[in-house]
Amino acid sequence: MNAPVPNIFADAMRTDTRPLPQWLGRRRADAAERLRAQGVPHRRVEEWKYTDLKTALEPANAAIAATAQWSIANVPAGVTLFDLEDLSAAPEWVRAHFGKAVAGEAMAAASLALAHGGFALHVPRNTCVGEVRANFSSDGHVRALIVLEEGAELTLIENQSADGTFRNTGIEIVVGANARLTHVRSAEASPKAVQVADVAVRVARDGAYRAHLFNGGAELSRLTLRMTLKDMGASAELSGVTVLGGQLHGDVTTHVYHAAGETRSVQLFKHVAGGKSRAVYQGKITVARGADKSDSRQTAKALLLGERAEADLKPELEIFADDVKCAHGAAVGDLDADSLFYLRARGIPENEARNMLLRAFLREAVDGIENDAMRDTFWQSVEDALPRAMVNAL
Amino acid sequence: MLDIKNLHVAVGGKEILKGLTLSIKSGEVHAVMGPNGSGKSTLAYLLAGRAGYEITQGSVTYRGEDLNTLAPEERAAKGLFLAMQYPVEIPGVTTLTFLKTALNAQHRARGEKELDAMSVLKFVRKKAAALNVSEDMLKRALNVGFSGGEKKRLEILQMALFEPQLAVLDETDSGLDIDALKLVAEGVNALRSPTRAMLVITHYQRLLNYIVPDRIHVLAHGKIVAEGGKELAHELEAKGYEHIAGKAA
Repeated sequence: MNAPVPNIFADAMRTDTRPLPQWLGRRRADAAERLRAQGVPHRRVEEWKYTDLKTALEPANAAIAATAQWSIANVPAGVTLFDLEDLSAAPEWVRAHFGKAVAGEAMAAASLALAHGGFALHVPRNTCVGEVRANFSSDGHVRALIVLEEGAELTLIENQSADGTFRNTGIEIVVGANARLTHVRSAEASPKAVQVADVAVRVARDGAYRAHLFNGGAELSRLTLRMTLKDMGASAELSGVTVLGGQLHGDVTTHVYHAAGETRSVQLFKHVAGGKSRAVYQGKITVARGADKSDSRQTAKALLLGERAEADLKPELEIFADDVKCAHGAAVGDLDADSLFYLRARGIPENEARNMLLRAFLREAVDGIENDAMRDTFWQSVEDALPRAMVNAL
Repeated sequence: MLDIKNLHVAVGGKEILKGLTLSIKSGEVHAVMGPNGSGKSTLAYLLAGRAGYEITQGSVTYRGEDLNTLAPEERAAKGLFLAMQYPVEIPGVTTLTFLKTALNAQHRARGEKELDAMSVLKFVRKKAAALNVSEDMLKRALNVGFSGGEKKRLEILQMALFEPQLAVLDETDSGLDIDALKLVAEGVNALRSPTRAMLVITHYQRLLNYIVPDRIHVLAHGKIVAEGGKELAHELEAKGYEHIAGKAA
């Protein structure tokens, strides 16, 4: 057993003496142990190389032990909403899934160990409901659990508010067989906050998880998205746009685990970094032994608008199976000179041509949103963030 | 309209055009013919204002102005159009949006009234029908997934929309089958006018059967080595470039 690493979260846990239901005791204790052993992630931990959380969070303040706020705008008929503040009354579906997918992730462990609240949503078998809008705000840790039973469908629209100084959101998503979850996430630009989120997704046979992620960045911002495609036919499709300016930082780290054969994942991430900002994308794909005929595609591209902006794109493949298709590509650059000349030669002034190409670059990662209104709203977030990224860029 | 005098152009420090002289008046159609590597595309790109093409000697005057002082978008607004050999594919920008943006940018630069979306659509549809440019092409991303023929037809459609004073056509025939070639040539011929000049750049005589030029210039090793009327094209076809270039040298 390694000696415990002193850290601000472990200190916070010592003063937390609330009673726990028996079913959660073991999971929370494991999380606490994990956190104590691992400490707060910092840049010498490979997965956090570009995001030094430890330095950003010290010295500790009250925020790191608080529980963040959440709100749900609407609960469609057929959906059950459960408040995680009172776990003693948890229904079976919460007991079955809550706190199970934190292994190995210090910040997921931190939110499980320290959050005193959050919400859980349940969509019963073969129930297709519209959208649920969830908002996270203020300081501290918060948890959420979304369970889609077999054949269920839901669109989750998640917003991370710009307020507060520190927020750590831990979300678990369980997509049952043939179920389909669309997750549209928007993190507003938060220049004065450290924002961390861990989303753990498990997808059963022929289930589908689709995510469209907008990241406006923060003083330090990290989204870890871990997906396990655990049965044949399961799929994950991700598209994301990060637009940063000023001194903002935005790290999106994904890990797709193809646990079974004939599973499929697609990722398309576009980043625009201006000013002195830093965009990070780390995308790891693991194809487990026996997960034959899996198909995984991953593309990450970044445009740098400022000489002092930085983008770090790190694709990573681990393949233990046979007959798999894995394609990945990453590129950091400037706008395409041939395209720029073509537009200018047709009379479009340089600034306007650059604007067109910049939007076209991002558009590709937005056009996959099926619902018109959602796509428009998502695009508006991109538009709102662009001026900050383009200061002094043209 | 266009006066090129003793033009020397370097690309990446290497001299490609070595003393080219050429003059085109309103209403005339000239052809520049030459083998690969003779400097044809360099001439086309230089006229349109692409970065990286440096005039080391000589001058290019377009309607009384030194062309070298104008940005590519200024040249376009002043009526210079280059139909490119390799039109660029731009994902994320629909063809119609691009046409509207370009058309209005040129109008704005000339101090003319901009067109609303409906007027642009009507105007584009009218011109597109003649060139067999489908509604579907207009809705798709610019040149993305277009066949060679579709790309060239879209170039000529732009020429029809922008109504340039001087149109430069760079290898517009390359990659076209005979039907596509005829269609493109008809589009070009429809734009011939006493107030407009054209410079048709091509490797092969074939295109000049359909777009009959007033004058032909043969370019080799960065210089005009022979000049003549439309019959020169047939001589080139029969005897080859080496014969003509050799005779001149």
